Amino acid sequence: MAGTKKGLKNLVWIQGLTCNGNSHSFLSINDTMLDVFLSNINILYHPMLTSEMEFKDVYKLLLSGKVKLDFLVVEGAVSTKKDEVFFQGFDVFEILNNLKDKSDYILAVGNCACYGNFPALYNENIKGLHYKFKDKGGFLGEDFKTKSGYPIINITGCPAHPEWIVRTILSLNFGYDIKLDNLNRPKDFYMYLAHDGCIRNEYFEWKVEAHEFGTKEGCLFYELGCRGPLTHSPCNKILWNEKSSKTRSGMPCIGCTEFDFPLRSKYFETKTNIGIPEEVPLGVTKRAYIMLTGVAKTFTNQRLNKKLEDTD
Amino acid sequence: MRVQKIVLNRVEGDVNLKLCWDQNGKISDAYVVAYNYRGFERILQGKDLLDALVINPRICGICGHAHLMATVNAIENLYKNSSTDIEITEKAKLIRQITLCSEIVQNHLKWFYLFVMPDFLKLFPSLENEKFKPFVGEKWKKAVKFSSEIVKVIAIFGGQWPHTSYAIPGGITSEPLKTDIVDALSIVDRLIKYVEEEIFGMSYEDYLNVKDLEEFLSKSKGGDLTTFIDFCVKTGLDKEGQSYEHFITVSTVYPCINEGVIKKKKCKLNLKKIKEVKDFNILYNKETGYTYANGVRYDGLPMQTGPLARRLTSETELFLNLYRLYKDSYLVRVWARVDEILRILINMKDWLLKINVNEKSYIKPKDYKKLYGEAFGYVEASRGSLIHKVKVEKGVIKSYNIITPTMWNLGSRCNKFKSPAEKAVLGLEDPLKAQMVLRSFDVCSVCLTH
Repeated sequence: MAGTKKGLKNLVWIQGLTCNGNSHSFLSINDTMLDVFLSNINILYHPMLTSEMEFKDVYKLLLSGKVKLDFLVVEGAVSTKKDEVFFQGFDVFEILNNLKDKSDYILAVGNCACYGNFPALYNENIKGLHYKFKDKGGFLGEDFKTKSGYPIINITGCPAHPEWIVRTILSLNFGYDIKLDNLNRPKDFYMYLAHDGCIRNEYFEWKVEAHEFGTKEGCLFYELGCRGPLTHSPCNKILWNEKSSKTRSGMPCIGCTEFDFPLRSKYFETKTNIGIPEEVPLGVTKRAYIMLTGVAKTFTNQRLNKKLEDTD
Repeated sequence: MRVQKIVLNRVEGDVNLKLCWDQNGKISDAYVVAYNYRGFERILQGKDLLDALVINPRICGICGHAHLMATVNAIENLYKNSSTDIEITEKAKLIRQITLCSEIVQNHLKWFYLFVMPDFLKLFPSLENEKFKPFVGEKWKKAVKFSSEIVKVIAIFGGQWPHTSYAIPGGITSEPLKTDIVDALSIVDRLIKYVEEEIFGMSYEDYLNVKDLEEFLSKSKGGDLTTFIDFCVKTGLDKEGQSYEHFITVSTVYPCINEGVIKKKKCKLNLKKIKEVKDFNILYNKETGYTYANGVRYDGLPMQTGPLARRLTSETELFLNLYRLYKDSYLVRVWARVDEILRILINMKDWLLKINVNEKSYIKPKDYKKLYGEAFGYVEASRGSLIHKVKVEKGVIKSYNIITPTMWNLGSRCNKFKSPAEKAVLGLEDPLKAQMVLRSFDVCSVCLTH
């Protein structure tokens, strides 16, 4: 059949309201991983990448059942109303309704497809596939399951990291079970916090604050808005572009893998109450946190009070 | 009159082309139609001023870094306009320029190999040309590899690509080490070598001295640009695809891009002459509207912006000569984008070597929450001139206006003029060529409607 490759599972990538950031993130994967991906998965259609078939032809093949749809990847927010979001000349409302029961797996890639994100702020019809922000029941309803029995698999992030996307799809392709968290994100990635592996961790432990941007020293959590200890993502485990992460380059984590990312404000400052962050690291009570940081503060770590290059 | 609707793939976002054919089988009118409006200007209203640094990169997945730079530039100009001191070190300026240019190189590489070259596979199918085929072709794969290499430079200084917000009023958040700069230099060097060998077939020193097409073809050992030129000459695309002879570049990137305006002759840029037109945007006019994008006019005229405009306003000899003979044809427009890859990489290397790590990355400015007034931010993005305008009261955004390069090139028409892209396809006889000419503007519907 046209466009298919023997023995390879078919993937179709469609888009709703999006900046294309997840597509570009996907393309930023290292070439070895891309080779492995392409030798295991047949990208039957991606609006930026494929050139042989137009979407209308692919769509027809999928609807007729002549070609099996294994992975449907959705990037971008969608609308529960007709005539609002279009993809390749078709209403995304219609495409999703027609393909939702045909695909073995559906992956929502990026926060727009997962939660609605910024496009969902001022239009009540715009939603993620399974959620609108934290509420279940996005486009597909609360209890929706794909043919494989999985709900929509959410690869959150603004954008999602290419390795999170590719490794999830390959794991399913190789027949592994994927454990999901309570927001339907693969545990393998989202059980970590952005804080885990941050090279400023020592400053966090000894409560040495960074008061200003632009230095290698100090933890960004206390004053400069960092959401690392509150954000589920392995950004400091699986580095970005195989080089770095926001916090490693002195930028606070803005919590872009969480549903409330567009609902928050003032990303570069920490909201505090009498000097104590309003939100404390996940899993710790405020009381325990205050005690622990109080103790850490009383013991000065000399190393951390100097510029890094001046330490012994 | 026959009307044909074409849905484009291999562009950024979702764009339709409505073509009107006359009795002689030529295109007599054309409409570029973009949907999927997200409403960023509305989203920004009432937000804290610095939130724009996080929100705006998300306007576009491929040129979001340019939106970050336009935002930070607008905010810093807001300080200046309200006579509040703000100082940005040379180091921070250089690094911002380096990361912005990395994104441009990434863009042009992907665009040439992933969007432009596969069209020729349809016109000239052969085993040899399979190297340009998506997913399997060796050239396609290399373009993906090297475009993901160059954005590592953004990650080194800014943490990640896409969507970092490491440039903030007063400088940048990172304090790179000398060895980080070496890391970035090695990437840029690798890219220069790749581009010299695969695209230009000559060293950059030789290429920068090339004065016209014949000299290029005689001196190049052969590369993908030569193949591309050959395809264009065979199909007539060396002459086709011309539009209005007006060009604009709003900001200078020393020493490779000079601002300016060309309307018949080069003239001085006056930013006050830039106006948006909304008559044919569905959002403002349900009856005449056909797309969800505004157009832009300079002194009432449509303008082309982007790499070709940059070469002409910078008076690069090679392009002045190409323009004399081939005007702003498909060939010249595409070549200018490809040319910019090398021209920018060479300068990136210089800028990297100029960074003084001992300078500060960031100098804390006064509290932005006291800022009032309005200011513009200007940036040269991958597709051309990008303008942000912000109005603020006590550090809260009252209004935010964005003019993207794509709005210049393929935004909606006005009563007098079509958009440059709509004009460029007139008279063509082949719908595939119409698509190709539209692609030569590097379509980004995501930025177009935002």
